[in-house]
Amino acid sequence: MKYRLLAGVSALVTAAALSACSSGGDGAGEAGGATTVDVWLMRDSVSAAFQKEFTEGFEAAHPDIDVKIQIQEWDGIGQKITAALAGNDAPDVIEAGNTQVAQFAESGGLLDLSDRKDELDGGDWLKGLAEPGAYDGKQYGIPYYAANRVVVYRKDLFEEAGVDPAELTTREEWIAATTKLNRGGTQGIYLPGQLWYALAGFVWDEGGDLATESGGRWKGALDTPEALRGMAFYARLQALGKGPRDSDEDDPPQAEVMAQGQVAQVISTPGGANVVVENNPELKGKLGFFPIPGKTAGTPGAVFTGGSDLVVPAAAGHPDAALTFIEELTGDAWQKKLAVAMSYVPNRTSLAPAVADDPGASAMAVGAAHGHATPNTPGWAAVEAENPVKDYMTAVLTGGDAKQEAAKASADITRAMNAGS
Amino acid sequence: MPAVRERPAPRVHRPPKAPPGRRAGRPPRDLWPYALIAPAIGGMLYLLVYPLVRAVVISLQDFRLRQLISGDAEFVGLRNYRTLLSDPRFWEVTGRTFVFMAVDVVLIMVISTLVALMTERLHRVGRTVVLCSLVLAWAMPVVAATTVFQWLFHSEFGIVNQTLTGLGFGSFDRYPWFANGTASFTILVLLIVWQSVPFAAVTLYSALTTVPAELYESARLDGASASRVFRSVTFPMLRPIFMLVLSLEVIWTFKAFVQIWVMTRGGPGDATTILPVYAVQTALSSQRYDLGSAASMITVVLMSGVLVLHFRQMFRQEDDPR
Amino acid sequence: MTSPRFRIRRIPLNAAAVVTVVVCLFPVYWMISTAFKPSRDIQSAEPRLVPRSWTLDHFRRAVQADGFELFWRNSVLVTLGAVLLSLLVALGASFAVARLRWKGRRQFMLLVFVAQMAPWESLIIPIYIISRDTDMLDRLPTLTLVYFMITLPFTIVVLRGFLATIPPELEEAAQVDGCTRTGAFVRVALPLLAPGLMATSLFGFITAWNEFAYANFLIIKQQDNRTLPVWLSSFQNTFGTDWGATMAASTLFALPALVIFLLLQRHVTSGFAAGAVKG
Repeated sequence: MKYRLLAGVSALVTAAALSACSSGGDGAGEAGGATTVDVWLMRDSVSAAFQKEFTEGFEAAHPDIDVKIQIQEWDGIGQKITAALAGNDAPDVIEAGNTQVAQFAESGGLLDLSDRKDELDGGDWLKGLAEPGAYDGKQYGIPYYAANRVVVYRKDLFEEAGVDPAELTTREEWIAATTKLNRGGTQGIYLPGQLWYALAGFVWDEGGDLATESGGRWKGALDTPEALRGMAFYARLQALGKGPRDSDEDDPPQAEVMAQGQVAQVISTPGGANVVVENNPELKGKLGFFPIPGKTAGTPGAVFTGGSDLVVPAAAGHPDAALTFIEELTGDAWQKKLAVAMSYVPNRTSLAPAVADDPGASAMAVGAAHGHATPNTPGWAAVEAENPVKDYMTAVLTGGDAKQEAAKASADITRAMNAGS
Repeated sequence: MPAVRERPAPRVHRPPKAPPGRRAGRPPRDLWPYALIAPAIGGMLYLLVYPLVRAVVISLQDFRLRQLISGDAEFVGLRNYRTLLSDPRFWEVTGRTFVFMAVDVVLIMVISTLVALMTERLHRVGRTVVLCSLVLAWAMPVVAATTVFQWLFHSEFGIVNQTLTGLGFGSFDRYPWFANGTASFTILVLLIVWQSVPFAAVTLYSALTTVPAELYESARLDGASASRVFRSVTFPMLRPIFMLVLSLEVIWTFKAFVQIWVMTRGGPGDATTILPVYAVQTALSSQRYDLGSAASMITVVLMSGVLVLHFRQMFRQEDDPR
Repeated sequence: MTSPRFRIRRIPLNAAAVVTVVVCLFPVYWMISTAFKPSRDIQSAEPRLVPRSWTLDHFRRAVQADGFELFWRNSVLVTLGAVLLSLLVALGASFAVARLRWKGRRQFMLLVFVAQMAPWESLIIPIYIISRDTDMLDRLPTLTLVYFMITLPFTIVVLRGFLATIPPELEEAAQVDGCTRTGAFVRVALPLLAPGLMATSLFGFITAWNEFAYANFLIIKQQDNRTLPVWLSSFQNTFGTDWGATMAASTLFALPALVIFLLLQRHVTSGFAAGAVKG
């Protein structure tokens, strides 16, 4: 009886193994002279509908190119791209997050696209996307789309409390309004203790930075007076709600907390609002957006620019088709459609008006003009791997001495950024 | 008093027996062992020794993403080892790793032995239920388990804080467990122990099933207490598998990574940074494969330092004709 | 057998069993109940042991993921292949070590012990390089071989340990009765090895089934060759992780190990029945 079990399993394994072997190779699948361009896009960077529309439109305009899009997962994507760049058979186009693209640009594994910059209309690319994609004066990554945070708020709770978001143009007004909202069972703002992207924005507003460079050496800058003021503001804001002081915006996902109904504001990308409504359909139509307020009435708050670039591996099989693909996807026509479909900020500042009808995206675009990225050096990846900034924030919020903790965190940042050299 | 250390049947040195009949064309009997171990040796050489040699070579080179792509790398001798060993943080992290490992291993081995002993004595239904729950805990994906533990101890939404506050410990209202180094360390120890006990308990239990019942009976007939029975009868028979599981747990807790990475990233501060976390932070996050390789080699040396006694015992035991 | 005194003595034992089951299953229960909770209740201000409302949405999303069947097929192939290969090779090797006398036996066992310390997290790069140079990237058999190698040392040591507790006289008696050497081994020793086979099969299965780093690094362009752990991590996007779907997927992911255990456990107990051999 045991043997029958064993025999059955072996037969199953063998049969399946044979079928796997036959599908192991990449069947050339090229119909009559057409080249297939292999594209890697990240999970949810484009909706299924947009993907279909773009593929059909592109293939109609370029009949000799077939598009094959593979969706990659976020988990382990750094290693995956590494494996692709170092392999013999790389895809033709890869979407790389703007925080990761720097290390790949530096590696020698990407094609230098500097001479195509004019063709790709690179004059007014968003800095937060273009800079990480450049290395040593050469452009390797082409800006694809950007997103940053805004304040997502509950229109009905604001009305009840008598707050008009259009009047919240400075940080102090914002704090006052949030204090008004933070009563009864309502949280004025649900701000987790470790949303360091928001802290970065406040620090930049004060004129400080997370790390500064001098003479080729980076130093953590959390202990400067400017950065300390940024943290002080964060602490004031965080106290106006019940955000967990020892975790970040994913634990639990902010949108799900907001969906539970008693939260007046969160700091999130506008896409978060869709998640809120998904979880609680009663909130449909009750969510609004405004840009994060800055210190003075004329300037919106600085924000952290997230987003992606498109890169071409040096080992790509069809670099020309790859470039044609990139030209289309980062060109005016498709960028406008993409921004409207996905509520993104387009990759060029001149295209910002395209999203004027989308309240979330237009609020985002206001902030995007004041967007910053993290220090443009591969050493920053080491900082994010430890993230002393998060520890610093929790320490201050749970009663630690801000100056001491800031000095400690800055020392950690300095050490991490310079360890690899 | 029976000589309790004796094995169930007397061991007799037998000279190698002639097989029932030599068949033409078969390899001579003396080559059979080598034929039987050939696949194992072959596999180990190609999939373990050869990559290991290359990993050592990488640790002696300047090897980053660029070198992985381009293929050529420069030899820098022991520079990577020097970089690691001269970092004061490295030694602090190593010390913490030993503490973490010791606490985990002691807890895991004690609890799993007790669980194995208990399981053996249960009736069939109870035994199956316990074993099934052990297997489920073992099979639960690491990330899911880590996340659940994180949720349980969440400062705002966690059931632990809610229960403790409900029981009257008001100071735990909204208590941020992950802001405190010792608390985070403890939670991680709990998680690792919870995840590791099933494997150890199932393996020890299966070893326990080979202990013949007559030994227990004769020992009990002689009036031995339960703990005496364990010490003199059960444990000696269990010892080879026990030591094996112990050394494996030493190795695995030394290299625990995913749980810590997901839960605290080594924080707060360095409170939960052990060697594998340190290695990824300093090396792999910047694609420094050379440093990462060197860190692994150092870890192997440290682990073998701990296990050397076990190895010597194993080596000596091989002289034992069994 | 059921005298009151006997029953009372069993109370601490049964109590310990209950405690063990509860402690083991509480996080598992939390995972399963999360899989049935609507997203907004997953981490809520009032954590509840029993969900207020139930939904199958997460399970639906989990099984509707792209390539769902392929993931399962690949993982089953690779894992079962690795486990079977490992058992086969280990049986041969442990038989050689436990039953035969030959030169180099000690050194071989030492090599196997040391092999357990292999730093697999660092061997990824050399194995990637070797696979790249031999054109074995993007192929499932490569993964099978790696998982086989990861589980082999443990399997050899455990099987040898179990074999050592089985007196050779039993096989010799069977040979006197007319079995060949291998026949005696298969008929007599193998059933008694059942607990060891169960422990090593479970270990091999769970290790290979859960392995992510190698599967992520060695399977690159052939998305049809991806394995289940990739599916588990696919419910993350730019807004965070879809925990409901992840927990639903994790629940489904953990079940095969339980199935394997139940299948093997039956043979373990029947191994005892054959234990008239003992003594």
